[in-house]
Amino acid sequence: MSQGASKSLLLRGYVVLVFIFVFTPIVTSFIFSVNSDRFPTIPLGHFTTHWYETIFADPDVWDAFRVSGIVSITVATLATFIGFCTAYTDYRYNFTGKALYLSLALLPPTIPLVIMGLAMLALLARINMSGEIYSIVVSHVVLCSPFAMAVIRMRLAQINPDLESAAWNLGASNWRAMQEVIVPFCRPAIASAFCLTAAVSFDEFAVAWFVSGLNKTVPVMILEILQGNTDPQINAIGSIVFITSMTLVILAQLILMRKTINQTATGI
Amino acid sequence: MPIVIWQLIFFVFPLIFLVVLSFWLVKNYRMVPGFDTINWVKMFSKGYFWDAYWRTLGYAGVATIVTSILAFPCAFALAFKVSPKVRRWALFFLIVPFFTSYLVRTYSWQIFLNDNGIFNTLFALVGLGPFQLLNNFFGTLVGYLTLCLPLVVVLQLISLANVDRTLIEAAHNLGCGRLRTVFQVIVPLAKIGIILGAVFTFILTFGDFVSPYYLGGSKPPTLSILIIDTTKSGQQWPRAAVVAIVMIVTLLTIMFASVAAAYRKRS
Amino acid sequence: MSDSSSSRPLVTFAGVSKRYGGVTAVHTMNLEIYEGEFLAIMGPSGCGKTTSLRMLAGLEEPSDGEIRLDGQRINEISSVERDTPMVWQSLALFPFLNVQKNVEFGLKMRQVPAEERQARASKWLERMEILELAERDISQLSGGQKQRVALARSLVTEPRILLLDEPLSALDANLVIRMQGVLSRLQKELGITFVYVTHSQSEAFAMSDRVVIMSQGRIEQLGSPKEIYRSPASRFVADFVGANNILSGTISQAGENLEIETALGVFQCDTGTKPAHHVGDSLDMVISADLVQMSLDDPNTQNSLECRFISEEFVGSIVTLFAELEDRSDFKIQTRQRDLAKMSLEEGDTFFVSWSAADTHLISSGRHLDA
Repeated sequence: MSQGASKSLLLRGYVVLVFIFVFTPIVTSFIFSVNSDRFPTIPLGHFTTHWYETIFADPDVWDAFRVSGIVSITVATLATFIGFCTAYTDYRYNFTGKALYLSLALLPPTIPLVIMGLAMLALLARINMSGEIYSIVVSHVVLCSPFAMAVIRMRLAQINPDLESAAWNLGASNWRAMQEVIVPFCRPAIASAFCLTAAVSFDEFAVAWFVSGLNKTVPVMILEILQGNTDPQINAIGSIVFITSMTLVILAQLILMRKTINQTATGI
Repeated sequence: MPIVIWQLIFFVFPLIFLVVLSFWLVKNYRMVPGFDTINWVKMFSKGYFWDAYWRTLGYAGVATIVTSILAFPCAFALAFKVSPKVRRWALFFLIVPFFTSYLVRTYSWQIFLNDNGIFNTLFALVGLGPFQLLNNFFGTLVGYLTLCLPLVVVLQLISLANVDRTLIEAAHNLGCGRLRTVFQVIVPLAKIGIILGAVFTFILTFGDFVSPYYLGGSKPPTLSILIIDTTKSGQQWPRAAVVAIVMIVTLLTIMFASVAAAYRKRS
Repeated sequence: MSDSSSSRPLVTFAGVSKRYGGVTAVHTMNLEIYEGEFLAIMGPSGCGKTTSLRMLAGLEEPSDGEIRLDGQRINEISSVERDTPMVWQSLALFPFLNVQKNVEFGLKMRQVPAEERQARASKWLERMEILELAERDISQLSGGQKQRVALARSLVTEPRILLLDEPLSALDANLVIRMQGVLSRLQKELGITFVYVTHSQSEAFAMSDRVVIMSQGRIEQLGSPKEIYRSPASRFVADFVGANNILSGTISQAGENLEIETALGVFQCDTGTKPAHHVGDSLDMVISADLVQMSLDDPNTQNSLECRFISEEFVGSIVTLFAELEDRSDFKIQTRQRDLAKMSLEEGDTFFVSWSAADTHLISSGRHLDA
């Protein structure tokens, strides 16, 4: 075997190692969610659906899923709308203070979630808006709209600027051109922004923990279980969350891929 | 401009309010509006605050370096040594972890790193250990890697995949050895992705409380843990606000410096 | 266009300027475009030709002056309300709509009922010979097919004027020739005005009734292709159009037998009906490369020069020769391949070029001569 080939093999082995590291906790969580032992150790016990039955029998869990569902869908709708407007404004207009505008639009994800949570709760409590479902919604919209903006802005970067002019030239008003040209062109990105923001919101725990009050979301519930007596219930809930999020993501990917394959096939 | 209004109300206002809050007073477990620098003076004079500050900065720094170094060979191999199809699948599988609960993954690592967890059970089988893997910086670092490694690989991979192949061939053609090409040609070309990955790692680990809490054992505390502890204990919100502001200022400084470095024109 | 002076102008540019910040893209432009003519606007990139077209389409607003359509000022009328459809260089077909829906777009915006829309779109698809492609996605079409869709989409509202912004520049050479034919025929059949922006001389000269040559935001010359080809009005036009040789000099003898003194000698020039010049005037002498004779022996006429053969370039049966004069400046000759073969020139060989005094065209240095 040549030196180059063995090096290349080494590199491949390393890649596999990285993937093992990344997926170990995910797979482990699945395994222990159907393992009978109260305390997760090896060797494994026997297969059981006990932990899933336990959580499905728990009305608090149902409540948490209900809250999370409402929050993530509302957040996704609002964040995608705001993200679209921001992305379009950035794409279409030049104005003084644009740098400030963009930093406002993109900065939120760089603020640690604990601080966002603290600041949000401090303000919302002051104006009597904390502890409600909408408290989580407003906080999450702040966090998620930058992601939506980024996804849609990337799509807008691919648009041929003549398309919009062509629509005007063919008699479409500004508003009509937006409806008939910009939105259809961005539709795959809008759909994936929706799924992405829904998934981010569905997973977020730190800010939600601060502002949620009695309206616990699923991740907040996980956090509280983690602080108290952990048992494999947490794995069962985690697995359900994972499946929910993944469904959204794969859906977003499929939509995006199907649309872009025959329109703008770019490399990576 | 709905975004401006929304972000002003729910992003800028809370942060401004945090600054205002840091000058308020706490009397009889109740916050009283006012303007007093006492919170700042108190916090800055506390040894544990500065310990936590340097510790957090150190943790985040180490995590950034370790993650970037561990990610690079992986991103490099995926960018140059595999077929586009494999690369697409790898990219997909690197994105998957973002949608699993970070908390649940952290809990999984507890199962592995425990004193009588899976690793130590395995070590015992070959007559080693037990090692302390949890409740120290090693545990925290594992958590940080769980959080950041996939993201950094993705960012580096995108940057590396966009490197013009002909430049690499040109370097080989001009007699630049393989390893030298990596450091003299490829790394500078993929600079933006590498720095971006590092910045994200720093931001995420600097603010994260889950890993240091559940894998690092929460003591001694990092700044995020300090914030949580301070808010829990007797309404000391103004002091938590001081910590938060110090964190934001530190983060913004480091972020702008790195971004400036990333986009600096080559002389 | 049969006789432009008799018909009323459809479009008038009256002192139109367009400035972007400190940069003037179009400089006090005056131009009349007639009903039913094929007008080409030609010039190098950045000369203001596309900006002029976009102002006419209502996609840019003039900074100064007035644009009139049918005698009516249209400066303030938005693109949406003018019926001035345009064919883009990128074609700007909507990738998310199929061929039929693309063509229907303009009608849909004008609230035409669905049934009528479909019928009218089909009519135009048929006319462009692409009816069978109606249900295809844009991404499935060839370059030529896309062109036809873009034309159908712009013409479906039956406008009086069609604006074309370098629509053929993305096609390969064979297809360009075919589409030129299609466009020419279409314009004649429809009898509407085509305003065609291009940087390609062959496209402009092949199709248009009149050509506007622009440079740096100004109109350099306006005329029929032949006028522009044979009598360039400025040094810029002479350089830009055709294959011209330009010799600069001053008048050494005025009157009937005009003589011009240059660094390479004194040359005769037949001014014909051109206005009189004075001794000492400096001007440029233009000798079109296809009006030059070649010989191996010195023809012993006054209008001849010795030169050295450098290289040749074949386009069809026409060959362009590149030669060097004694002061090392270039000289171009266009001739038929057959005639060149007789001379059997090798690189570095010397030979003679000559031209008749009547074939010399004069441009006063700087600005126009016959303006």
